Amino acid sequence: MKPKWNWRLWAGFAVSVLALAIYVFEFETTRQIVWLSAALSVVAIVLLIAGLRRAYGQSGVYRGKVAGPVLTVLSVLFIDGFAFFSYKVPKGYDSATNKPRVGDRAPEFALSDSHGAPVALRQLLSNSGNGHTSKGVLLVFYRGYW
Amino acid sequence: MGIQPVAVSVDSPEESQRLCQKAGLTFPVLSDAKAQTTHRYDLVLPAERWEGKEISGPGEFLIDNSGTVRWRKLTEARGSQILEAAQRLQ
Repeated sequence: MKPKWNWRLWAGFAVSVLALAIYVFEFETTRQIVWLSAALSVVAIVLLIAGLRRAYGQSGVYRGKVAGPVLTVLSVLFIDGFAFFSYKVPKGYDSATNKPRVGDRAPEFALSDSHGAPVALRQLLSNSGNGHTSKGVLLVFYRGYW
Repeated sequence: MGIQPVAVSVDSPEESQRLCQKAGLTFPVLSDAKAQTTHRYDLVLPAERWEGKEISGPGEFLIDNSGTVRWRKLTEARGSQILEAAQRLQ
């Protein structure tokens, strides 16, 4: 009898790719996304283990003695990639304590605009130009050098 | 919506002006050439420089009229997220 396709190995690999892709494409560190990717990683590992057991334990019934280890290694790399991005990268940038948090007073500044005119935060917050009062300021820092 | 967007980077006023013209921006684009404000907001990217200058990582802060931070995002925010946060302001 021809050995069956070991779908668990391929499913585990696909789920590990999905776990990393969701995290990367959402490009966020919200708790929900992290938990979803972590849950998918666990599902991937369970599928891969089940697939490997069948490939080696029931090698007459299931294929996957070569594909199994290859897909498992690739999946572990993807899951490591997710773990790296979710734990190590934000910890370097997000955990620094001096970034203003919700509820903090925004640090004052006075900078030149694109015409060279000085602009201060307190001026922006009290500005009721154009005849209507602004509810606040959205301050957007970007990389620059465009 | 009543929110005043303001952009900040280490670009010079001339570079910011070119960006405004190219992108058709009508809100203030401020120049933090020495990265002092970027440091004050603790957004300087530790290991990266551009032409010898310190540069900022992404960060958006919604500041109400009392000067209090009401929302922040330290990755690039989607427009829908900003709108939701702005709607929660009184």
